[in-house]
Amino acid sequence: MMEPLIAGLTALMDPNLLVLLFAATLGGVIIGALPGLNATTGAALLLPFTITMEPIPAIAILTTIYCAATFAGAITAILINTPGTSASATTCLDGFPLAQRGEAGRALGMATISSTVGGIISVVCLMLAAPLMARMAYNFAPPEYFALTVFGISMLATIGDGTPLKNIIAGAFGVFLATVGKDLLTTVERFTFGFNELSEGIGFVPVMIGIFGISELLVQAERLSVERRQVIMKAIKLPSREDYARVWKTVLRSSGIGTFIGILPAEGATVASMIGYNEARRWSKKPEEFGKGSIEGIAGAEAANNSATGGAMVPTLALGIPGSPTAAVILAGLMVHGLQPGPTMFTEQATFAYAIFWSMLLVNVMFIFVGLFGAKIFARVTFVPVQILWPIVFTFSIVGAYALDQSMLDVYIAVGSGVIGYFMRRFGYSVVPLAIGLILGGMLEKRLGQSLIMLDDQWWLMFTRPLTLLFFVLTFLALFGPFFWRRLFQQRDPMVSTGE
Amino acid sequence: MTRFAVPTGIIAFCGLAFWLSTQFDKVPPILLRGMQPADFPQMVLILIIVLSVCVALFDQPIEHGRIPTTVWVSLALFAVFALSAQLDLFLGLGIFACALAWAWGERRGWALTTVAVVSPAMVFFLFDQVFNIRFPRGLLTNLWYG
Repeated sequence: MMEPLIAGLTALMDPNLLVLLFAATLGGVIIGALPGLNATTGAALLLPFTITMEPIPAIAILTTIYCAATFAGAITAILINTPGTSASATTCLDGFPLAQRGEAGRALGMATISSTVGGIISVVCLMLAAPLMARMAYNFAPPEYFALTVFGISMLATIGDGTPLKNIIAGAFGVFLATVGKDLLTTVERFTFGFNELSEGIGFVPVMIGIFGISELLVQAERLSVERRQVIMKAIKLPSREDYARVWKTVLRSSGIGTFIGILPAEGATVASMIGYNEARRWSKKPEEFGKGSIEGIAGAEAANNSATGGAMVPTLALGIPGSPTAAVILAGLMVHGLQPGPTMFTEQATFAYAIFWSMLLVNVMFIFVGLFGAKIFARVTFVPVQILWPIVFTFSIVGAYALDQSMLDVYIAVGSGVIGYFMRRFGYSVVPLAIGLILGGMLEKRLGQSLIMLDDQWWLMFTRPLTLLFFVLTFLALFGPFFWRRLFQQRDPMVSTGE
Repeated sequence: MTRFAVPTGIIAFCGLAFWLSTQFDKVPPILLRGMQPADFPQMVLILIIVLSVCVALFDQPIEHGRIPTTVWVSLALFAVFALSAQLDLFLGLGIFACALAWAWGERRGWALTTVAVVSPAMVFFLFDQVFNIRFPRGLLTNLWYG
């Protein structure tokens, strides 16, 4: 393990790459602070810029954007009560009241330190857990992979803004889109309508740019009248010794929670921050302060959402199952660069994998400085008029969609995906499951086909394999568990069922 | 209204896609290993149809406000972009960006120039010179490509 660890670090020590990563950290913080942009949209928009780069800098930039933008959401959450990313929504609850009391600097300092500690802990877990998980998955046969992918897709039920049913429909729609193009096993063309460009399937990049970037443009069109006001901030100061004494347990607990939530397929920083915040309140000696400016609330939410970034990369790199929406974009980036995530990544591309880990560790250190010294400036970024910002984002989106395959069809796919994405969001269908379904769809069909060949078309034999059965049981629990738990809970506590 | 309209639309789309999938070439049974090319998409489409029926029957209906005029204007501008991009991609981007900023209330000359001229030009030269991306020929790109 030590050899690839050192090789990865050496690969990252190129001065040009370090400058690039620092620029990416600044870019990520700006993206996280800009209205309507978040880590996922930012990574999707910047993905085309990385296509001509070597894999290590390309993916390191995307992961840096991921970590930095997730952190930056806290800046606007605290200073203007507008979470830059959905993962920072819980930070508003205590960050903004603190800022209104003239303690914006203390709140930002706590958010920065908690994010950094959470991020570092999760990356260390990533370094340890990902190779172990990959080693475990090394002996998986197609039926195990198929069942694992089904489990990954079933986890989509609980993410995003939609109801579980709508999320699964959106995920299945993504899987359906993945069937466009040549069938891998028979080479028969499907849904190509005579377009040669569609033979290889619908590209991930134009769809992601469309559903995350262009659909957000239409969402922003609904919110043109929203006004933002900034709280005056005197100076950033580090949390006091009393603050540290009060929050260290919360930070460690939330880091553990965030890393675990991140590892679960498809769950991301938003869920982690909510659970981290709730647990911080549950364990706090002063729960009455939560929602009114509790420093523990900020620490709980920020440590959890940033630690989810490292956790989310564990299944992404080790199994090829995205751990969060942004990890799905990074997975698309890996595929664009011809890299195959999965167990072989830690044997055949170990240097690459460890270079990515080191880059994530580095960015978590970098944004201490960016967060502490640049927060005042980055908060101003939020006031860039949307009338100027979004036409420019559209230009970047379209050129980015075109650039990968240099095809105008991809431009129209991006615009079409944007329109579909907007109406999906409007009618309560989250676009995140669509993106993950599109990425996993090809793998799902391939593994099912291989399993049927392996088992001589006797699909029921899959249930005789212990690991496959385990993944199917987990799938069942992911889909129906929340429903059963709710029913059980309601029976035990009639107050809940009556809504009192 | 959307409680039934959206699932009905999804089911109609899936029905059409299912019919299209019945037109795929079939692999002769003697050569077939695994599934026919239409089997997997059909399974997925059936799943979407079943779930859409469940949404129509069991999901809580959500009240949707009217779609604001600015969204309809933005959607119309997408159509304008799609048409003008046939003449030249960057001409389309310039027209779209300027019209969108105007429609969203921007009236300052420097801002409109930035979104309509400066940003598309910068993006063009960045991708052309740094990333060596060749854009489709058109009215404006021909001026550069010759």
